[in-house]
Amino acid sequence: MIIRIILSFNVTEFIGRFHPVLVHMPVGILMLAAIFIWLAKSERFESLRSAISISLFLGMLSAIASCVTGFLLSKTDSYEEALLFKHQWFAIATALISLVIYYLHLKNRETKWVAAVMVIFVMITGHLGGSITHGSDFLTKAFSSSGNSGNSKSIPNVQETNAFSTVIKPLLDAKCIACHGPNKQKGKLRFDEPGFISKGGEDGSVIVAGNAAESAMIKRILLPKDNKDHMPPTEKPQLSKQDIELLQWWITTGAKYDLKVKELPQTDHIKSILNSLESGKTDEQVVISYFPEQTVGKAPEVAVQQLRDRGIAIVPIAQNSNYLSANFVAVESFTGKDLQLLEPVKKQLIWLKLGNMGLTDVDLEAVGKLPNLRMLFLQNTKITDQGLPQLSNLSELQYLNLGGTKVTSKGVGQLKGLKNLRQLYLFQTAITGDDLDKLRQLFSNTIIDAGGYEVPKLVSDTTVLKAPIGK
Amino acid sequence: MSDKQNQRLLKEAEHAVLQQYTRRHFLKDGAMGFGALALGSLLGGCFGKSSASSQTLFDASNPLVSRPPLFPGKAKSVIYIHMAGAPSQLELFSYKPELAKLDGLDCPQSLLEGKKFAFIRGVPKMLGPQAVFRQRGNSGLWLSDNLPHLATVADEIAMLNAVTTDQFNHAPAQLLMHTGSARLGRPSIGAWVTYGMGTENKNLPGFVVLTSGGNNPDAGKSVWGSGFLPSVYQGVQCRSEGDPVLFIKDPSGMDRDLRKASIDAINKVNHEQYTEYNDPEILSRISQYEMAYKMQISVPDVMNINDEPQYIHEMYGTQPGKTSFANNVLLARKLVEKGVRFVQLFDWGWDTHGDSAGNAVDIGLVNKCAKVDRPITALILDLKQRGLLDETLVIWGQEFGRTPMQENREGKKMPFKGRDHHSAAFNMWMAGGGIKGGTSYGETDEIGYNIVSGKTEAYDIQATILNQLGFDHEKLTYESQGRNFRLTDLSGKVITDILA
Repeated sequence: MIIRIILSFNVTEFIGRFHPVLVHMPVGILMLAAIFIWLAKSERFESLRSAISISLFLGMLSAIASCVTGFLLSKTDSYEEALLFKHQWFAIATALISLVIYYLHLKNRETKWVAAVMVIFVMITGHLGGSITHGSDFLTKAFSSSGNSGNSKSIPNVQETNAFSTVIKPLLDAKCIACHGPNKQKGKLRFDEPGFISKGGEDGSVIVAGNAAESAMIKRILLPKDNKDHMPPTEKPQLSKQDIELLQWWITTGAKYDLKVKELPQTDHIKSILNSLESGKTDEQVVISYFPEQTVGKAPEVAVQQLRDRGIAIVPIAQNSNYLSANFVAVESFTGKDLQLLEPVKKQLIWLKLGNMGLTDVDLEAVGKLPNLRMLFLQNTKITDQGLPQLSNLSELQYLNLGGTKVTSKGVGQLKGLKNLRQLYLFQTAITGDDLDKLRQLFSNTIIDAGGYEVPKLVSDTTVLKAPIGK
Repeated sequence: MSDKQNQRLLKEAEHAVLQQYTRRHFLKDGAMGFGALALGSLLGGCFGKSSASSQTLFDASNPLVSRPPLFPGKAKSVIYIHMAGAPSQLELFSYKPELAKLDGLDCPQSLLEGKKFAFIRGVPKMLGPQAVFRQRGNSGLWLSDNLPHLATVADEIAMLNAVTTDQFNHAPAQLLMHTGSARLGRPSIGAWVTYGMGTENKNLPGFVVLTSGGNNPDAGKSVWGSGFLPSVYQGVQCRSEGDPVLFIKDPSGMDRDLRKASIDAINKVNHEQYTEYNDPEILSRISQYEMAYKMQISVPDVMNINDEPQYIHEMYGTQPGKTSFANNVLLARKLVEKGVRFVQLFDWGWDTHGDSAGNAVDIGLVNKCAKVDRPITALILDLKQRGLLDETLVIWGQEFGRTPMQENREGKKMPFKGRDHHSAAFNMWMAGGGIKGGTSYGETDEIGYNIVSGKTEAYDIQATILNQLGFDHEKLTYESQGRNFRLTDLSGKVITDILA
């Protein structure tokens, strides 16, 4: 009984699966051995000499064990062949070098240059192994602007281009072709040429033109990640939501290879994704953090109490935070002097609401001296362009509301040095049309909302339905 | 008078004073003193935090002072719009083309077995969607033509497609949505929020309620009550026609100075009472008097929409001087701008059973939609242009949904097309306040009868609202009847899928 279980159990596969654990040993031990070899040259570390032998021996053994398990593992599943080939032979070379260096060391020969070569081989082998499991762009992903989207290059004038070759093919190249392409045809399926795509794999066609939901390709992409039939395999780079939506769109519209993007029907959503390909970046949300990560000391209690007595709602932004927000909404007969009360809490104050107060340009001087402000509400105050330059030192400012004031684009333009500004509100100001466009160019990272939204009049607004006559 | 008599009188007086200090006081003080000392040192690591937070939040002398949330919240205030009576999701938000194919057919037995309905009896017929649906905005959210204006701001909305409740009658279902319990006696969400955070404008109430549609919600005023929380946290109902609060004007012959003098005199007596009895409710009462005095000026001021420009009136569709949903929505914006923490709107008249033209899903419902579509859309756009949408959480709520079957009250055919109460699956949506616009969460089956994924209960919605304000719904507690209570009782999880 037990024997039968053991026999039914794939021993080679089991051993092969130890590869991911074992590989780290030669990397670490051989590197360390090389370091010992070099350090032992100096008198100070001569004592390390005695450790070289044992570390080389262990490193050699683990390198050989890694090679064996790696070879077994490579037979159980399919990996990108080109990468696997290189990884395999570099690994064998590394193991051989470790044998040689151990032999040389035993013969008391000079080993430091061989050790240097060995280190290089270990690093190359490790990198190739990592590329197989994490994807070949794993290391460089941090530098690419488009995150994990298949479309990393921008496509100018996307509507005029061929839908398959400029939108779909790059996705397949990036995420599918490694296993379903010229080098490897898992499931006898190839995605590198239109002819192969239509032909399908060993289970038949994978694309039902006009019906994305019934297409085996889409079905398997949409399977939960823990399903073994999920594509791409869990350990491989995944398709982004946007990639999937583009694939679904292409299949739904007939899986045509010869049509331009504009010739295929598009929903608004797809249109916006396609447009985002033009700029080469996915529509990432502007990341806003209205409070600093680093902590700050407690504000002087007397100053806080003074503010509170004046009717200013001053509160920590959270129970465990010393940062403060202040709202002047309930202050009666406001004067510029009230702003002086903020001076003692200037380090802690990050949100300030002064909207609808009789604030003038002179008063902005005091506001400009609150260096940590992240949100500032100045809507419906008496400030003008003259006062604005006093805010240009608020380098942390992310949100600025100037709605309902007399500021113009000239004055606001002077704030262009505020690098962190993400949201700028200019509702009910004189800034419209061209001025607004200019400001938007000037503040390219800032969402500028000048409002003036309207809800159009529709016939249905005033139509009152009645019961049909006779009821 | 003899000495003996004198002594007896003295003794009686002493006794009377001692009686004021009851066994209850003694036990309470004892518990607060020795108990707190012992427990605090013994269990500080385990319970110290939660009990401390529930102890310190209520400051009787200034119960509505602005307080920090547990963590920095995205939202500072909430506008919760509840459509009382429960509009039909199948004519507004839930696109079910399969249901159209079944229109007029008998409802299959499998859907009826073991189910209880408010009015449906026997075997009802299926009723196809009585509205045209389209995909809107970049997000492709499905919305019906009944809400054409809202469709233009679809990308600001996070739609909850699979909300569910276990109540199919209005009052308990409304209570569950707002107080976390289908039975009376629990504080409403607005009360919890003002208890937790106070309010930023000391001249206005922290929690304001406005109703429209001709009736208060079926659950009555308990749905904005304070339950076992101090009464200062209950919603203040304001009227949008006539005096915003009844009896807010000084009676004739009483000028403002005299009013002030009389309130000062009352407060002086109350202070004396407080020094004698130490009852925090007295302090609370003093601050209430002072606030009422201030509100005599500030409330009529904020509740006056005459000063709004014509452009805003056209945008919201408001008509000053009348009670209307549109007026209430504009007021909600004004209140939030003025630092009010929680504004609760109820609009009555969505109970579309099909018993009259006004209650038909293809007549009355359409008319009702036309009345709310413009103001709600205007609210979202107006908050946006004022830079307030990110810190104001807007919620479209309802107590339950409506059946995919046509109602057949008492087994008879109804004169108009209507739908019965349906608790198993319906829609709600949120916008602003750190909610990710253009998202959609949860799924129902092909006819909108049951939930397939993304089940969302009242508790989950409450937990999400509190989360956006900066509270962990499990930690915002209040001790009553010997244990800590919380809004979400024993359930609730934040719907992280719709958060920005």
